[in-house]
Amino acid sequence: MGLLLAVLPCAGQRAAINDKRAPESLEDLREIQRLVQAAMPAARAATVCIKLEDGFGSGVIVSKDGLIMTAAHVTGGTDTEFTVVFEDGREVKAKSLGLNSDTDAALARIVEEGEYPFVEVDREDSVQLGDWVFALGHSGGFDKDRGVVARVGRIVRTASRTMQSDCNLIGGDSGGPLFDLNGKLVGIHSRVGDKLPENLHVPSAEFLKNWEKMMSGEFMGEGPFAQKPELGKGYLGILVEGREGGGVVVKRVGSEGPAKEAGLKVGDVILKADDKALSSREDLQGILAEKAPGNRIALEIEREGETEILTIKLAHRDE
Amino acid sequence: MNKLISLTVLALSSQFVTAANLDSNYRTSGKQVHQAFRELQPFLQSGSAVFNRGRKEIIFGTVVSAEGHILTKASELGEVGDLVVTIDQTRYESPVLVATDPAWDVALVKVDAEGLKPVDLAERPALERGEWLVANGAVTRRERRVQVGVVAASAREVKAAGGAVLGVELDGEAEGLVVGDVSEGGGASKAGLKKGDVIRSLNGEETKDRESMLKSLEDLRVGQKVTLGITRDGEEMEVEVELAGRTDLYGEEKTRNDGMSGEYSARRTGFPAVFQHDIMANRHFMGGPVFDLEGRCVGMNIARFSRCESYAIPAAELREIIGRLVPAGEGS
Repeated sequence: MGLLLAVLPCAGQRAAINDKRAPESLEDLREIQRLVQAAMPAARAATVCIKLEDGFGSGVIVSKDGLIMTAAHVTGGTDTEFTVVFEDGREVKAKSLGLNSDTDAALARIVEEGEYPFVEVDREDSVQLGDWVFALGHSGGFDKDRGVVARVGRIVRTASRTMQSDCNLIGGDSGGPLFDLNGKLVGIHSRVGDKLPENLHVPSAEFLKNWEKMMSGEFMGEGPFAQKPELGKGYLGILVEGREGGGVVVKRVGSEGPAKEAGLKVGDVILKADDKALSSREDLQGILAEKAPGNRIALEIEREGETEILTIKLAHRDE
Repeated sequence: MNKLISLTVLALSSQFVTAANLDSNYRTSGKQVHQAFRELQPFLQSGSAVFNRGRKEIIFGTVVSAEGHILTKASELGEVGDLVVTIDQTRYESPVLVATDPAWDVALVKVDAEGLKPVDLAERPALERGEWLVANGAVTRRERRVQVGVVAASAREVKAAGGAVLGVELDGEAEGLVVGDVSEGGGASKAGLKKGDVIRSLNGEETKDRESMLKSLEDLRVGQKVTLGITRDGEEMEVEVELAGRTDLYGEEKTRNDGMSGEYSARRTGFPAVFQHDIMANRHFMGGPVFDLEGRCVGMNIARFSRCESYAIPAAELREIIGRLVPAGEGS
C-alpha cells in the first residue's frame, strides 16, 4: 500500500495557476478555490478586529507571541492601547508599536501573554501583477454571527510602495490582511479609490523594510496616514498652585475641558501625576510638556480626606 | 464606539506614476476571467428572469416552475401589470402577482409560459468562504452575462436595522398608549389604526406602558403579524398589524460606508436567513439565482448591503418559501 501524499506548494513558490494569464476552465477555477479554502482556516484564525476608543479596524497576527500587522491610520499613533477581538469574540488587550505614516504600515503587540494563531509573512516579495489573492477583514465592524468577511480577486496594479487588488474593501477592513494562494501575508488593507475596483494595500515588503524601526516604536514619516504626536499640545483644563506640605491645589477648572469632564473640582489636591509627586505648578507643566493630545495622565487626587486616581485623556490645546 | 476607521479616499493617479497595470479584461470582473465560467451561462439564461419597465431593468427573478412561476425581490418590484419579463430569449407580458412574503421580502409572480427550466435547488450544507459563485451581471435582450464572486461570510439571520415596528407614533402628552400619527405605508395604517385609538394589548398580553410594548416587539420580526387589542370611542376591538423594519419605514442616515456603496438595496436588513457573497452588484441585480460551479442553484440574491457585501436566501429556505407560495397543484 502506497502512501498518499498531499501535494503542497513549497515555501515561497507561487501557485502554478498564477502563471496563466486567466483561468481557462472550471477546473482552473476549482484550483483557485481549493487553494483559497485550504488557506482560509489559518488566515481566519489570525485575523482580528481592532477595537479602539473611537472606531473599529482590522489587523492580523504574525507571530506566536502576538505581534500584529495593521494600518497606521488604524492605530493612529505609537503606544496606543486597544482591544483585539478574535472571530469567536474572545478579547485581549494590545498596544501599538511603531508606524510609517507615509505608507500606512503599523505594528502592534498583544500585551497579554499567550500563544496566538498567526500567519506567515511573505518575505520574498514574491507577489506579482495578476496573482490571485484573498482579502479578509471585519467589514463594517465586528459581527460574531457573520464572522470575518472574505473576498477573492487579483493584484491589478503594482507600484513601488503600494499595490491594488480587485478585492472590494470598505470601512472596518482597514488594517486587515491580503493573502496569496499559499496563505502567506502579502499586504495590509489601506485605502480605496472613489470607484469600486480601486482597493489599495500596503505590501508586506514595506513592513519588512522598516521592521526594526517599527518594532522599536518609532513614528516614521510625515505622511498623511497618522499625525505625529504634538508634545506639549495636550490640554487638561485646570489651574493649580503648589501646596505647603506637598501636592498642588486646583484653583480653577476650565468650563470645557477634560478635567471638568472627569469631575475634577476646585479645592481638590493633586498629589501625584503619572506616579510622580507634585509640589508646584511647574511640576505638572513639566509632565504635560512630554504629552500629546490623546495621551492619558493619571492623577492621584485627595478630596475630603480620601484619595482616588483619575485617568484623564488630554484634549488639544488649540481646540 | 461604533464608528469605523474609514478608508482614506485618495486620488490614485499620482501614486502610480511608475505603476504596472493589469488589463481590465483580465481582472476578476473582466471578459477573460468570465470566459472560464462560460459553461454556467446557460443556467443563468434559463433559470433567471429579467423584469423590465419600459427600457429599464427593474429587478431579476428566479424561475421556480416550468409553468412560469418566478420568485423575486418584492420591495423592488412595484406594480407588476406593465412589466415585461424576459426568460432566455422569450418576452412575457402581463405578469400576475401570485403572493408575497414580507418576512423575506420576496414576491411570487406568474407569467403565461410552459416548458420552462426551473433552477435546480441545491440544499448544500453550509457554504464555505472562498467558494466560487455566479449570478446575473449585465443583461441584454438576448443574453444574460455572468458576474462572479465567492462565498464571503457565515450564513446567519440578519435582524432588521432598528427592529420591527407597528408604524405608529404614540401621543407623548396623553396618558396610556394613545395613537398619535399613523405612518403612511406602515402596518398600522394598512390595518386601519387611527389617531386617538388606545392600544390595550399586543398578542393578548396587556401593554401597560411604552416600555412593555417595545419589549414585546423586541423579539418579533419584519413581516410577522401581531394582534392589537384597542379601544376606539369606548369600543373594544382587535386589529391585526403586520410589522415593518424601522429603517424600511422611516429611512436611515447614510453612513460613510453607505456613501461609498453605490446603489444598495432600499430594503437590506431583516431576513430570517442569508448567506453573504462578494459578487459585484447593485439594487437592480437582486432577485436572480446564485449558482455554484456545478450549475446548482445555491440561493437567490435578496439584498445589496454595501460595496462589498450582498445577501442571498439559501436554497433550503427557498424551497420552503416556494412550497408555501406556489398554489397547491401548480408548480413542478
